[in-house]
Amino acid sequence: MQSSKADQLVQDYLRRVKLALTNISASRRDDIMEGLIQHITEARSRFSTDDEAEVRTLLDHLGSPDEIAEAAGVHRRPSKMDLWVPWLLLLGAFVFWLGWIAGVVMLWSSRTWRLKDKLLGTLIWPGGLLFPVIIGAMPIVSSSSSCQGNSSSVHCSSPPGVLPKPFGIIIGVVALLAPILTAIHLNRVRRRQDAV
Amino acid sequence: MAMGQLRRGVAEYCVLALLKAGEGYGFDLARTLSETGIIASEGTIYPLLSRLRREGMVTTVWRESELGPKRRYYLLTDPGQRVLQQFIITWESFRDTVDGILHNEGHS
Repeated sequence: MQSSKADQLVQDYLRRVKLALTNISASRRDDIMEGLIQHITEARSRFSTDDEAEVRTLLDHLGSPDEIAEAAGVHRRPSKMDLWVPWLLLLGAFVFWLGWIAGVVMLWSSRTWRLKDKLLGTLIWPGGLLFPVIIGAMPIVSSSSSCQGNSSSVHCSSPPGVLPKPFGIIIGVVALLAPILTAIHLNRVRRRQDAV
Repeated sequence: MAMGQLRRGVAEYCVLALLKAGEGYGFDLARTLSETGIIASEGTIYPLLSRLRREGMVTTVWRESELGPKRRYYLLTDPGQRVLQQFIITWESFRDTVDGILHNEGHS
């Protein structure tokens, strides 16, 4: 029973390595697979029990399918679809949010970006430029603040819930720049991956 | 990251150097290079051996094994020998240069 589970682990591992090596020639792939199969056979012949734990350790030492593929010169080429992700995150929300949602799904399903890039792309800002456009309306509202006084002194007060104008401008600029810089960053990461 | 790149860069020459002493079995080469930290994962030796074979640096021969199925052994070829020799010269000069810089930095 133990050995059948161990066999299953090995078969699954070899299947995943073969899949990771899809982009190289069949003869090279067969060559590498042959080496790995021999290695596994040799290692298992030296095991005392050949149980699941020993096989898992063996496969850990061999390395992940991605590591082996990378050593074979297979680089994870960014998908053509990745090109659209920064744009969808930035502007997609203007199309009834559908574009932004599609951008987030593509961002998280892509292997081009790391976790921190994905978090950045999702959280700054949900809706991309739609959020700063809404925030941008606040200084306009503040311009309608009421002013009272005579010719020597004028006192203006903003309605409750409206930011004073300087703060509104600062927040508006930051809100506007943040998603643009995030999109530039995501695009740079994509191009760097493409250049590998 | 930089150390990983350095190790990856020298791994193929270490394989050639190990084969200089005589033919080698993939499993033993993988274990030796992994234990010495030259390669991070044992499985990455096989793409490397495959490339060296395609480039004519090594050749392979199948031999019977008492323990089980036939084994594939790797042998250093003449071009592989020349590449290794060239690397040894380059490496020694490179190592001396780096050592010199590192020691100077320590004294300044």
